[in-house]
Amino acid sequence: MRRSLLEIGLFLALLASGMAHADDELKNPYAGDAAAAVEGKKLFLKMGCYACHGHEAEGAVGPDLTDDEWIFQPTDSMIFNTIAKGRRGTVMAPFADQLKPEEIWKIVEFLRDKNRQRNAK
Amino acid sequence: MLTRKLRMAAFVPAMLAAGAALAQGVTDDMLFNAHKESDNWRMVGRDYMSTRHSPLKQIDGKTIKRLVPKWSFSFGVLDAQNTTPLIHDGVMYVTSSHGRTFAVDAKSGAMKWQYNHPLPEDVGKTMCCDIGNRGAALYGDKVFVATPDAHVVALDMKTGKKVWDVTLGDHKNAYTMTVAPLIVKGKVLVGMSGAEYPTRLFIEALDAATGKQVWRRYTIPAPGEPGSDTWGKDPDNLKFGGASAWITGSYDPAQNIVYWGTGNPNPDWDGVGREGDNLYSNSTLALDADTGAIKFHFQYTPFDVWDFDGVNEHILADLDGKKVWLHGDRNGFLYSIDRTNGKFIYGKEISKVNWMTGFTPEGRPIVNKEKVPTYDYEAKDICPASEGGKWWNPMAYSPDKQMVFIPSREICTDIKSAKGERAEGKPHWGIGSIKWNKGHGQLVAFDAKSGQKKWTVQAPSPFMSGVLTTGGGLVFAGTPEGEFKAYDQDSGKELWSYQTGSGIVGSPVSYSIGGKQYVAVPSGFGGWTGWATIGGGGAPHLKDSRKGGYVTVFGLFEE
Repeated sequence: MRRSLLEIGLFLALLASGMAHADDELKNPYAGDAAAAVEGKKLFLKMGCYACHGHEAEGAVGPDLTDDEWIFQPTDSMIFNTIAKGRRGTVMAPFADQLKPEEIWKIVEFLRDKNRQRNAK
Repeated sequence: MLTRKLRMAAFVPAMLAAGAALAQGVTDDMLFNAHKESDNWRMVGRDYMSTRHSPLKQIDGKTIKRLVPKWSFSFGVLDAQNTTPLIHDGVMYVTSSHGRTFAVDAKSGAMKWQYNHPLPEDVGKTMCCDIGNRGAALYGDKVFVATPDAHVVALDMKTGKKVWDVTLGDHKNAYTMTVAPLIVKGKVLVGMSGAEYPTRLFIEALDAATGKQVWRRYTIPAPGEPGSDTWGKDPDNLKFGGASAWITGSYDPAQNIVYWGTGNPNPDWDGVGREGDNLYSNSTLALDADTGAIKFHFQYTPFDVWDFDGVNEHILADLDGKKVWLHGDRNGFLYSIDRTNGKFIYGKEISKVNWMTGFTPEGRPIVNKEKVPTYDYEAKDICPASEGGKWWNPMAYSPDKQMVFIPSREICTDIKSAKGERAEGKPHWGIGSIKWNKGHGQLVAFDAKSGQKKWTVQAPSPFMSGVLTTGGGLVFAGTPEGEFKAYDQDSGKELWSYQTGSGIVGSPVSYSIGGKQYVAVPSGFGGWTGWATIGGGGAPHLKDSRKGGYVTVFGLFEE
């Protein structure tokens, strides 16, 4: 009986955390915006992202940001937060001090667009 | 009584001297004579000639079938494990990526201490090629490491506690460090990374006891100094021309000269505005070890627009009475240069070369204009690509055989340059487009005297490890796939192989404890790998290679 209560409690906690996660999900205001993707590429080059990820984000020191393995696993929120906050313990540094949120979203759109182009081939 | 007093008078200083020797740990004598003993490996090149040759011969062509792993040690971090482990009196001092240094019992693999340098979270932003490190240096009772955020730190050899910590540059402006220091007569010599960014880089000597600066040698002259007129009309080129110094130099005690390599001019692939030789980029500087003054220099690639970053190491050899340095360059050539005056002796192709058509008698390359990229012209199939030839991974020299063993590759590129924006702390490459074309790897053996190629071992991927030679007639090298291999020095025949779990981009060493020979190799894939994948890629199969962070130690199996 005690075990069942514990299991129900765990289930409810997981459900709540899942709902909280869904509420926290950020949406890209530039999703599908071709002009934003072009701007995003300019920012990608200007900020020096190419030094690790390549001029077309195809991967070098850092991972390929255009393939399904990377791009479809993270959500828009996760990509946004990775650019903004970096990934501690890896080479990926935070860029929130140099990029406005809307600029980060344009880079996210550039990466999504690269992935769409790749899969359309 | 008098006799006893005299005896005591003699005894006390002797005891004090012995105590001082014990406290000193690593002495100048040990470093000067590193090539004469076989148990230790006290500097990254093993000796001041940077031979990377161990005289040990217990492991040879016959016994190698009994070579088995004895222990392994995890660094607890991933990315480029570019290090060379050091061995002093049974202890291994080894650095890893992300600013870590470890002391490990070299017989058992048990950790003695660990130092984690606190890295700023944005350091990766200004490190072109991963957060790696190429090794430590030992002197007295201290271990010295250069850190990604441009600190040089002295650690207590027994405890790993920090003794001093000095900062040589601002990592936010891309003054960073991956170099293994070189100890010369009580000084700690280091060189800066950062030539993929607008920087003015340097080699610096610090007092080993205090960390205070002894001298600094900028690799780009100040306005008005000799060579300052080789950078075109833009005076800012002298402030931002790069010319890094991230590979450890060699030292000739007889001449008191340090030989230190310098890297590419910035921007890497765009020469517009910096027309001239761009001194002292892509050169070897022969420096007075006491003052850092330039005695002479040799430049491998004047006015570089291919990123032939000439920073690589120098092996000092005496061949038929001639004192030379041997240098495998990213421009595709193995050079032999007279180390008493910097005069060219030979340049021999390590890999296919087509960016130049020959040498002048002075060793200046005659450039093939078809292979010069511009804003309007994509130069196709430039051989070799920026990584050589021979990349940074150190070659080895067997004094017994007078042979050099070079980790190499056959990969070419297509390049179009472009005007980039010069901003401190931002990459500045001058690239319009770049593609690496699929190629392969090779390990190449040369006769050092003649520069004649003796044998070539071909492999699917470039050799990205350093090389070790031994008195047992062996050559050890690793592959990006993680295979650690041994070859016969005379024939290049593969004799042994072991899968270490991740790509080998560091350098193997050999040492002895209690009469038993060991071989150690770091593994952990990483570093600049754009050449493998960009624009088709020189080795596309290496995409997303498994990362790691270990050192594995091997010895002979015993019943």
